[in-house]
Amino acid sequence: MSSTEQGTSSAAPAEPTTAPESAAAPEVPESFYYVHGKDKVVHKVSAGALQHSALIHGMISNLGYTEEQAKANPFPFENIDGDILQMVVDWCNQHKGKPTPPEDTNLPKQKEKLFDLVLAVNYLEIKELLTYCCKQVAMMVKGKSPEEIREIWMIPTDAEDEAAEKEAKKRAGKEAAGETAAAAGDAK
Amino acid sequence: MSSDVEKSIETTEKLANDLNYDTNWCDMPPEVKSKCIGKMEFKERLSLRCTAKAERSLVDSEKIEFQKGSFLGESERYGPLCQVSLDSKDGSKLIFKNLKDPFELMKYIWKVGNFENLVIHIPEGTSFEEKVIKYTGKMSAKNVEFNVTLCATEIILAILKNTKNEFESIKFEADHDNDLPIDEILATPQIQNAKYWHIRCYDKKDTLRKVAQVWIDKNSVIGSTFQLYSWLEGPFDEFLEHFAERIVSKSEERVRVRTDNADRHILLEWGWNPILKVHFELDNYFRLLVISADIKESEYDDDCIGWIRKIHPNPDIDYNYFP
Repeated sequence: MSSTEQGTSSAAPAEPTTAPESAAAPEVPESFYYVHGKDKVVHKVSAGALQHSALIHGMISNLGYTEEQAKANPFPFENIDGDILQMVVDWCNQHKGKPTPPEDTNLPKQKEKLFDLVLAVNYLEIKELLTYCCKQVAMMVKGKSPEEIREIWMIPTDAEDEAAEKEAKKRAGKEAAGETAAAAGDAK
Repeated sequence: MSSDVEKSIETTEKLANDLNYDTNWCDMPPEVKSKCIGKMEFKERLSLRCTAKAERSLVDSEKIEFQKGSFLGESERYGPLCQVSLDSKDGSKLIFKNLKDPFELMKYIWKVGNFENLVIHIPEGTSFEEKVIKYTGKMSAKNVEFNVTLCATEIILAILKNTKNEFESIKFEADHDNDLPIDEILATPQIQNAKYWHIRCYDKKDTLRKVAQVWIDKNSVIGSTFQLYSWLEGPFDEFLEHFAERIVSKSEERVRVRTDNADRHILLEWGWNPILKVHFELDNYFRLLVISADIKESEYDDDCIGWIRKIHPNPDIDYNYFP
């Protein structure tokens, strides 16, 4: 597995620094986790940044990984394209511990990328980013007619839908009949 | 701990296998589609619901917020065609005119819309009057305005009854000659529970005592407010006479009466001109409030113009008279 550690500067939990005598408690070193997408490129992300993802946060909250364990067991998100995961990781890093702004203008404008991002974000349960993405999706059809929307979003007409459904049923029927015939042949 | 690690990775892999990513709107899960629809303006929602049956049912299940919705029937003032105008929260406006079947569109908008302000002026004789009266679907609005001259009485009652019982304000605009079915209006829970309601330009003497009586009968909450702008001076006397046995205190500007609940009183105020220190010459402004029985007279709100402006934005105050 290739590994490009990205996103944060420190790989291991930082050595506890000598706190000034006046400080009440020593600084807790930040812990890091590793994730990879379909392209197997590993991204190193801090637990703070990962808090944006309810899915990952739920998984890591009680793990208590050591740095070595985290490195050895990156979370695999095989269904997310590498570039999409990179976008998600970047967003989580940018908004780590910060209140999220009402608008996010850095989201992809291309339909394919945006839909992939929406699905990834929905899957990873990143609520704020999902809100931005959905707004962006809505903007794609601003001022468009039903025909234009159907074209942009490749929505089949009801007639096309019905025809596809009929075809699928026909195919399923044929397959079932084939299986029955094969089973009867085997019995002989 | 290693079993925890394995379990977490298994969970990720299992969830990953459940999904089949694509880059098409049709492959998005319904909850994501609904979220996207929730970010669309009304016009785009209407377009999307025309694309396919499945999209239609999703669009129709998603509520939409409107700053204002105005539903105007055919009338001498608005012309021979009805008009629907919708103001979005972002300030954009959408107007529908020349509608083939206005009631169908109205019904749809009432079903999916949550209105901050709802204005309904559907006069008697409108082609779809009967349909509105028979309509039983629920409507959701915070504030509603009726122009009594331009809206059939039956329609006012039907709309009130169909609206969810959550009004912050209900406003009636009369023209001094109107005969409002005040008893039927007062019988609706929407009016009984409204935080604030008023009638402008209405001259029926018994209105104030009828409202107060309903509040007593229904044990209305502290803070309930009704205002009346009238040309009559009589309502104050009529009120005093009717509640003679309940009077706690009275002055030229205020009457306070007991309710059946020891915690609550009803206060009637007659607005006066704070500059001239007299009542307005022709225009009479009355405010009726359910107050706590503990409120002292020294705690009364003397900002008369403040509350008068809620019912009349420009009361006739002669500032030149001020020395």
